[in-house]
Amino acid sequence: MASIAHGHEHAAASHHGHPPKLQYHPGLPIPNGKLFMWLFLSTEIMFFAALIGVYIVIRFGAAVWPATHEVHLSEPIGAFNTFVLICSSVSVVLALEAAKRNNASGAKGWITITLLLGCVFLGVKGYEYRAKFAHGIYPWNPLSLVHEQPDVYYGSAVRARATELITQLKAEAGIATPADAAQAGASPDGAAAPGAADSENAATSSAETETGGEAAVEAASTTPPLDEAEVAERLERIQMLERLQQRSASTDRAELAALAADIMPMPLSEEAGHVEGLNDKYSWLKMPVVIPGGNMWASTYFLLTGFHAIHVVVGLIVFGIMLTMVLDAQRAGVIENVGLYWHFVDLVWIFLFPLLYLF
Amino acid sequence: MSHATTHDDHAAHDGHAAHADHGGIAKYIYVFLALCFLTTMSFFTYSQYWPWPDPAVKRLFMTAVSCTKAMLVILFFMHVKYEANWKYVLTIPASIMSVFLCLALVPDIGARMNGLFGYEGKYSPERWEHVGDRADVEAMLTASEHAAQHSEHEAEHAE
Repeated sequence: MASIAHGHEHAAASHHGHPPKLQYHPGLPIPNGKLFMWLFLSTEIMFFAALIGVYIVIRFGAAVWPATHEVHLSEPIGAFNTFVLICSSVSVVLALEAAKRNNASGAKGWITITLLLGCVFLGVKGYEYRAKFAHGIYPWNPLSLVHEQPDVYYGSAVRARATELITQLKAEAGIATPADAAQAGASPDGAAAPGAADSENAATSSAETETGGEAAVEAASTTPPLDEAEVAERLERIQMLERLQQRSASTDRAELAALAADIMPMPLSEEAGHVEGLNDKYSWLKMPVVIPGGNMWASTYFLLTGFHAIHVVVGLIVFGIMLTMVLDAQRAGVIENVGLYWHFVDLVWIFLFPLLYLF
Repeated sequence: MSHATTHDDHAAHDGHAAHADHGGIAKYIYVFLALCFLTTMSFFTYSQYWPWPDPAVKRLFMTAVSCTKAMLVILFFMHVKYEANWKYVLTIPASIMSVFLCLALVPDIGARMNGLFGYEGKYSPERWEHVGDRADVEAMLTASEHAAQHSEHEAEHAE
């Protein structure tokens, strides 16, 4: 990044028989490391601005978009994570100040605090992801339980899951022969839904049902016999699942919506928060749920927060490496450059928090 | 190359010298407090005490708060306030390209459902078959209301 300066002077000098004397000046009046970091950050600005911009465009161009409590987002948790990242930004600048004063141990202490705060951020994010996964909200289809509308495909998916669970429970309670279980596992219920997008869900459920039948046979042959109370509990579960199976056979959208609302109701107001349904009451149930707009929400949420989390991880790795160095005045430039990156990560979250949690 | 290295060193020293007179831990603490206050303001829109029910006001307020927070971080924590004019060379083109990218998406994606540029409900028939719409939300809300009433009745009977 250097340029030849005083070209005319050199040309004039060469006319008088002296060799040209080249003098280099930096293209920009900053160290190479800092220039690299700013060039890198300018690509990062484009990357995240594109992601955030696309999120805004998709969100406001969607037919429906789920409210935060429908997708189990917690605003206080998001605000806490914002606070954690702001604290970590302060600790980085304090590390830089300490390094400039040649206080290596102070700088290392602040970098350690930054590292810990970054870990807290990731821990909280992991806890949030776990809450989504527990409610069947995944960014990819084989694991996702989210359906967009209470239609016949939804009913079919509920029926397939109920069949799978009934087969397993009967095998556990010892009230089905392995042949029965295998037959129930191969039941065509799960594959009853033809069609485009949701047929993938139905096909997956069907495949799960088949494997469920095999698992049930295996469970029946390997698990110890249950006592009377446990058998009674299994029978109660089976009765409940059979009622769900019957309701899921309806083709009426209002009835299927009622079924979906029993499994996971929608919050009736913004203040109401999450309302418990059958999936919350019985954690083993894991029935398909209806969240209009939920699939696109999941794709954008996990993409944005996932890329941000990857950047946090990279920052933490660099902080970890820095802890092996002597962070005196000579390393102030390194701390400044890494700090620039970390502040940028904080900056991205400053926009993500209101967009994802409060808009 | 030794000349280049020497000048880089000079640039580095110049940079640090420039930073030395603007630092100050007190300033960072004030910025930190301002950021905490602004985060609380964002969170305030979620609380029951937020006085304007119109979501547009809420969004406008939060965007303003986020931009202020971003400015504070960029100017003070990233020291951009104290940098020379080279900062514009790197940041302005990147920002313009980001804005253009988003604007380019508005006609095809952003405007397809909200009536902008004369577009309204421009999902393909195949997409409409598998995407949730307002009617689905209404159906789910009605069903959820019934479910809530039913569970209330059950609770009363249990008592």
